Amino acid sequence: MREVLQRRRGGRALAALLLVLAAGALVLGFDVLAPAPPDAGAGASADAGGDVVAPVLPEPVEPAFVPGAPRALGSTRDLSRFAPVRRPTTARAGPRMSAAPVAELATTTPEGTQNIVLVLGRTVAADGRIWARVNLAVLPNGTTGWVPREALGGYGAVRTRLVVDLRALTATLLRGGRPVFRADVGVGRSEWPTPRGEFYVRNKLTKFANAFYGPLAFGTSARSEVLTDWPAGGFVGIHGTNRPDLLPGRVSHGCIRLRNEDILRLARLMPVGTPLTIR
Amino acid sequence: MTRDETAHLPLTIEDVDRDGALLETVEAVAGTTRAELLRRAAIGSGALLAALAAPATASAARGRAQDTAILNYGLVFEYLQSGFYTEAESLGTVRAMSSEREEWARTLGAHERAHVRIIKDVLGRRAAKKPFFDYRGVTEDPDHFTRTAVAMEDLTVALLGGQAPRVSDLGLRAAFFSLLTVEARHAAWARRIVGVRPVGSALDAPKTLAAVDRVVRSTRFIVSRPRTAGRTPPRFTG
Repeated sequence: MREVLQRRRGGRALAALLLVLAAGALVLGFDVLAPAPPDAGAGASADAGGDVVAPVLPEPVEPAFVPGAPRALGSTRDLSRFAPVRRPTTARAGPRMSAAPVAELATTTPEGTQNIVLVLGRTVAADGRIWARVNLAVLPNGTTGWVPREALGGYGAVRTRLVVDLRALTATLLRGGRPVFRADVGVGRSEWPTPRGEFYVRNKLTKFANAFYGPLAFGTSARSEVLTDWPAGGFVGIHGTNRPDLLPGRVSHGCIRLRNEDILRLARLMPVGTPLTIR
Repeated sequence: MTRDETAHLPLTIEDVDRDGALLETVEAVAGTTRAELLRRAAIGSGALLAALAAPATASAARGRAQDTAILNYGLVFEYLQSGFYTEAESLGTVRAMSSEREEWARTLGAHERAHVRIIKDVLGRRAAKKPFFDYRGVTEDPDHFTRTAVAMEDLTVALLGGQAPRVSDLGLRAAFFSLLTVEARHAAWARRIVGVRPVGSALDAPKTLAAVDRVVRSTRFIVSRPRTAGRTPPRFTG
């Protein structure tokens, strides 16, 4: 009721305002709508004939900034997506609840960071539910599975890819398909080979005060296929070293070692979530 | 829109704004006291509404710092919008829509990206960092996407309408009004796309920060960035 009254009052006020404006326009003989003469000064004045001339309105204010041309979306060819695991879930062989389980996904990694997965594709099931196909950090390496989209958080996107060449003993970081970083690496000895395949970088550890790993270590989804009883599951890391004299070489238990200055440089360029190709 | 089992629990602003992007801008626009009240208040409570309804201090209402804060507030919403359209476009959702809707979504996405670019350029090092977004599947479903776009564009218009008059620098205010009119066209286009009348009433009412916050809360689009860095000693194979 009160609202209705307010609306009515508002309507009356608007009508009154319009009336006043109309009366004003009549008094001015509608000159307010006519263009002012070019030499008219500021403020109202009378012309030679004694008619009232409308005041000259100021020029529009120049905006302090003007957006540039609309920005079309660039190429998505080198774009990769990752997503955090929002709640524990089961990855399945197909995009349906009845499909065989492939792996259990936890929300955290053995290092205590938030678990992320590389998203390879999506589909909408017949019931309207969205499923994401993800790269899994389980053995055998290269395993993928389907998880309900709602089990994952928001997508992060990266345009980088790290390529480790086991024959050339190099690591090359690509951004948008172009190399932006290259360094010698140490990789697994023949009895503890670094696994080949498609993986991703899933965390970054710093300030852990262990010279063996250097100043910084990236965790990856790759796992040693030999050292399966290694603490925390035998994950392959990318890290610094206290033995730079051994690089490049086949010197590790499967991890990818870089000189300390190189791992620090890489850390400035490579975000977590970056796909990793070991070939 | 997906809702999980925690949706019924009382939320604090930190639940929806874990990176602090909104709180930072609220603090700058509305003052530390109100931001602190916001921080403590359960969203929707009387304390929150009282905090937001209180008049701004004279010092907070003037000057360059205020303008920077308002620009940053606008930037967060431009991030939200540009991320929304960009994600839908890059995921293929936009490509799967009718040609009319596809043109609409691509055009708006291109505009929002241009808005982000220019506001970031203007703010320089003072620009707010981009929050992390979780669009919760909305960008992957054409119907959800278009309906949410309407709400988002309407919200931006109401937000800019409320903040533009508070910009003290005349040139910046003019720029804000330029953005406002474009966003209003976006809103009308989005409404037409989903078959809703482009214009609802004869006058648009600006939204208060509380009202904007309620909409943001309902989307839960702004979330904390995944915590992928740690200091645990590595146990990799070495």
